[in-house]
Amino acid sequence: MGPEEDGTNPMDEDGDGDAEEQGRDMEAWEKAYAEDRSWEALTEDASGLLLAVDVTQQQRQHRRRFAASKGPRIQRGIIRYVFVVCDFSRAAAEADFKPSRMGAVANCVEAFVREFFDQNPLSHLGLITIRNGVARRLTDLSGSPEAHIRALRANLECSGDASIQNAIDLARGYLSSIPSYGHREVVILYSALSTCDPGDIMDSIAECKKANIRCSVVGLSAEIYICKTLCDKTGGVYSVAISESHLKELVLEHAPPPPAVAESAVASLVRMGFPQRGAEGTVALCACHREVKLGGGYTCPRCKARVCELPTECHICGLTLVSSPHLARSYHHLFPVPGFEEVSVQLQSMGKFDVLRLCYGCQQELPTAGSKAIAGVRLECPRCKQHFCFDCDVYIHESLHNCPGCESLVK
Amino acid sequence: MKFKIEGLTVYFPYEFIYPEQYQYMVELKRALDAKGHCLLEMPTGTGKTITLLSLITSYQLANPVGKLVYCTRTVHEMEKVLDELRRLHAYQEKEIGKEAAKILALGLSSRKNMCVHPEISGEGSRESVDAGCRKLTASWVRIAAVDNPNIKTCDFFENYEKKGADALLPPGVYTLHDMRSFGREKGWCPYFLARHMIQFANVVVYNYQYLLDPKVSGIISREMEKECIVVFDEAHNIDNVCIEALSVNIRQQTLEGATRNLGKISQVIEKFKATDANRLREEYNRLVEGLAQRGNLPVADNWLANPVLPDDILREAVPGNIRRAEHFVAFLKRLVQYIKGRLLTEVVESEGPLSFLNSLNKECSIDQKALKFCYDRLQSLLTTLEITDTDEFLYIQSICDFATLVGTYQRGFAIIIEPYDDRMPNIPDPVLQLSCLDASLAIRPVFERFQSVVITSGTLSPIDLYPRLLNFNPVIFKSFTMTLTRDCLCPMILTRGSDQLPVSTKFDMRSDPGVVRNYGRLLLEMVAAVPDGVVCFFVSYSYMDGIINSWNEMGILQEVMQHKLVFIETQDVVETTLALDNYRRACDCGRGAVFFSVARGKVAEGIDFDRHYGRLVIMYGIPFQYTLSRILRARLEYLRETFQIKEGDFLTFDAVRQAAQCVGRVIRSKADYGMMIFADKRYNRHDKRSKLPGWIQTHLRDAHLNLSTDMSLHIAREFLRKMAQPYDKKGQGTNATLLSQADLEKMEQMENMQA
Ligand code: SF4
Ligand SMILES: [Zn+2]
Ligand SMILES: [Zn+2]
Ligand SMILES: [Zn+2]
Ligand SMILES: [Zn+2]
Ligand SMILES: [Zn+2]
Repeated sequence: MGPEEDGTNPMDEDGDGDAEEQGRDMEAWEKAYAEDRSWEALTEDASGLLLAVDVTQQQRQHRRRFAASKGPRIQRGIIRYVFVVCDFSRAAAEADFKPSRMGAVANCVEAFVREFFDQNPLSHLGLITIRNGVARRLTDLSGSPEAHIRALRANLECSGDASIQNAIDLARGYLSSIPSYGHREVVILYSALSTCDPGDIMDSIAECKKANIRCSVVGLSAEIYICKTLCDKTGGVYSVAISESHLKELVLEHAPPPPAVAESAVASLVRMGFPQRGAEGTVALCACHREVKLGGGYTCPRCKARVCELPTECHICGLTLVSSPHLARSYHHLFPVPGFEEVSVQLQSMGKFDVLRLCYGCQQELPTAGSKAIAGVRLECPRCKQHFCFDCDVYIHESLHNCPGCESLVK
Repeated sequence: MKFKIEGLTVYFPYEFIYPEQYQYMVELKRALDAKGHCLLEMPTGTGKTITLLSLITSYQLANPVGKLVYCTRTVHEMEKVLDELRRLHAYQEKEIGKEAAKILALGLSSRKNMCVHPEISGEGSRESVDAGCRKLTASWVRIAAVDNPNIKTCDFFENYEKKGADALLPPGVYTLHDMRSFGREKGWCPYFLARHMIQFANVVVYNYQYLLDPKVSGIISREMEKECIVVFDEAHNIDNVCIEALSVNIRQQTLEGATRNLGKISQVIEKFKATDANRLREEYNRLVEGLAQRGNLPVADNWLANPVLPDDILREAVPGNIRRAEHFVAFLKRLVQYIKGRLLTEVVESEGPLSFLNSLNKECSIDQKALKFCYDRLQSLLTTLEITDTDEFLYIQSICDFATLVGTYQRGFAIIIEPYDDRMPNIPDPVLQLSCLDASLAIRPVFERFQSVVITSGTLSPIDLYPRLLNFNPVIFKSFTMTLTRDCLCPMILTRGSDQLPVSTKFDMRSDPGVVRNYGRLLLEMVAAVPDGVVCFFVSYSYMDGIINSWNEMGILQEVMQHKLVFIETQDVVETTLALDNYRRACDCGRGAVFFSVARGKVAEGIDFDRHYGRLVIMYGIPFQYTLSRILRARLEYLRETFQIKEGDFLTFDAVRQAAQCVGRVIRSKADYGMMIFADKRYNRHDKRSKLPGWIQTHLRDAHLNLSTDMSLHIAREFLRKMAQPYDKKGQGTNATLLSQADLEKMEQMENMQA
């Protein structure tokens, strides 16, 4: 069970197929019990409300959320094929998010695209928009962040109804042809409160499940049953944003790779090329822009075509082209730094932690029991037993992926 | 889990219990200890049923009390209760062993729900199944069948009868479904078996009528012991059930049918006179001695008891003038003729039973005494004449029903004759109503006969009114609120539209186009902001039709349909069921839908709009009863004179409980969430608001009063976003909403320490 099942949503009893059948026989309140039991195990990784004012609380919540997205050490799909669906129906014109829901979505997607390629250099992403009840592919699955952002920026207008079915059908069409080692995902940013579908959406959901496509939804207004069902059945995450910043957080939660789906988790080999950086001053015909470019760029080791950016797929021979740092960065998902544990500041009064007054990472002072001056949490690396501040914790786990304490241990 | 309440060990089949469930048990136990009646209000979604069952069965295990008689309103609720009980029983068996936990619990319903005969059970209505069964099981039919193999009988009944006293149901918990399977397997009739087994059962679950309607309870519930614990669940409308049990309506077609029935009866009498005059003579002799002792009648012949309450039934000989069959028929003909004449009136007439009897006596010399015996006399005659198709004789039964009631009761009843429905004065539709005005009449025998009667529901506010309406003294009456880990209820009172003009369904305002438009805008804004299902309740069918028409003309409905599909409740049950079905489907598939419904209608009473089927309910206006109704006015007058209940108080109480009932449809469990908009400026007044149940009032924050459409829209949006966030369902510290066995033990220790 991945952390995705963490009951991020109060309507857990809506479960899937069978559970729902039984559910009908169950007394409604009794379902609450069933849930409560399941809850016990989940208190660890569920995120709380986001309205906390207390710094320490806030930091704890951030950590909890982060832990939820990481979960225990599990196999992760590091080669992902993700379609991001933007709902640009009539509802996206609402101005309860600034500048409008559509604007907020565009900003988030932009941030997401960058973060995504940063965290998943070997993965591919495509954009789909829904407008007037029709889903349209904006960009093909590819590895170039700038192309996606450009296409999105050029397509900002909204009207008509929304249709989830059309969107997932379209995405499925493209995703079902990708190689089996790829992890297939759809992330929907949904403004509307209903979906006007041409057929039975349950069929489409079943198809997605069959095709191992993980669908997640980030809602902008309220919880919608069908979105909940879609996410539950396909193993995705459903969340609803309260504010612009919350929206961004929720979207970015989809950037780290999700746990691998059991069936598709069989190890497989992927052929990759590590192109050479072209010498300055050489002139070559660029395969991605179809024009002559001067200097820079990379050369595909198989067909010698020139590409501008990495990572990408060679436009000529289709080889996956990455640089070795990319591969290395993907690695951290496989060998993550252990999660730091919070140390109760109270224990300190017993005189145990006198030595560790400063953060091992940044040498700033850590909160102590006596002084109220420094707010926040104190964290300990379970391997090297060094203490860190909150900021370093975030930096180590989200960017650095190495623990300075562990690295400096004498081997 | 297992815990103690004041020394009583309670078995509860779950690991956690809500604090209010625990409180409820404490109060209930005190009432049982005091051998008194009680009135308990606890919101739906808090597991009232299991709380009741768990405490009472535990109490039965520890104390020598009688059976638990659990009354529900619908078959569906009945099955739910029994399912719940089954789970509880399994847990008890686990805890104290099979032998100690042994119980017999069963549901009883009409033949329509229990019959397993391949043909009879397929009949459409309750009456036709009853009659179909009677045709196969009446004593004379069975006697005739002994000689003549062509006469059909029911094998299930025959097998059951053959077994005699050995036909027993082994201990266990039986839903109607289980009863049917058991009956099929054994080849015994489940209906008669259930009726028989009631006397041995520890828990009986059946419909309100089996206790409240003398016609049924006289047969089914006659032999229950005093120590029984009676529960009326979902009892917020119990006064109306009581009143209906003792009221009769007679229309034109009733009279025509009755005339036909009488013709048929005369024919049969003639036939018997020619072939078997002895029979009639025997009956005559029996009547001289007093009415047939019901207990001696073969079980299948005994199908409806006297409509008056057991204490009021006369145990004397039938008066001479109706003893002979043909005299009785002539007597009835005169009565029918008289009522026909009364229905010809062109003005509304309203009188008490006394004056009605007077004029009846004067004009057709029918006396009260004979009237009283009508019903029993008719049953005797139909049995003597070996008439089995009872469903065809419903009309004459209604007439006799009426005659007996009118002959027995002089107080607490009114007779009202209306030539047409006030709302449709052009269509003549004369009706004579014998209306019971006093709800306490029908329920009094229940209070007197049984040691403890528990009346409970999610809405019994104001709780002090029920003891007055039902005229009893509860030893305990209490209202519980719901403990919640988050504010999942969001009631709002909307008093004006976005243009700040007040909205109301008050008579002088309801057709004002401004109000209609503001109501429409409210819906429009809400369907655009609320996901999945939205339910609207209107005060009446005619109001709903009117406003939907206006919205259609204003183009509002078309705009609504851009966001959600629209479904409407009609007076046709099949149509409404279909509409509900499609409504649910639209909610399931994400299209979203609105359901327009009527307060006091079938939907408002029995259909749940929980989870995504109802994220918002809008109550348009206050569902006052139709105050021009003469029955209502007679009842108000009676309540004022007899119980000193003010008219306004009663009307408001009644309207607000209906409104609470409507909005309560959206919350069925604590994990659920939903909004409720009371759209009428009058709700803002204290006298209305204060009559809402406690669990709504506690969530009705000041910021949610006196809202305009745009304000409520803002609240709604925020609420929905907040509810979509993950939350900690268990609650923490003082906020705990779930107690474990350990928690309860700690509480008990603390109490002991204090004591
Ligand atoms: S005796 Fe029982 S099974 Fe037979 S017809 Fe009557 S109800 Fe049905
Ligand atoms: Zn290029
Ligand atoms: Zn190449
Ligand atoms: Zn630091
Ligand atoms: Zn640091
Ligand atoms: Zn370390």
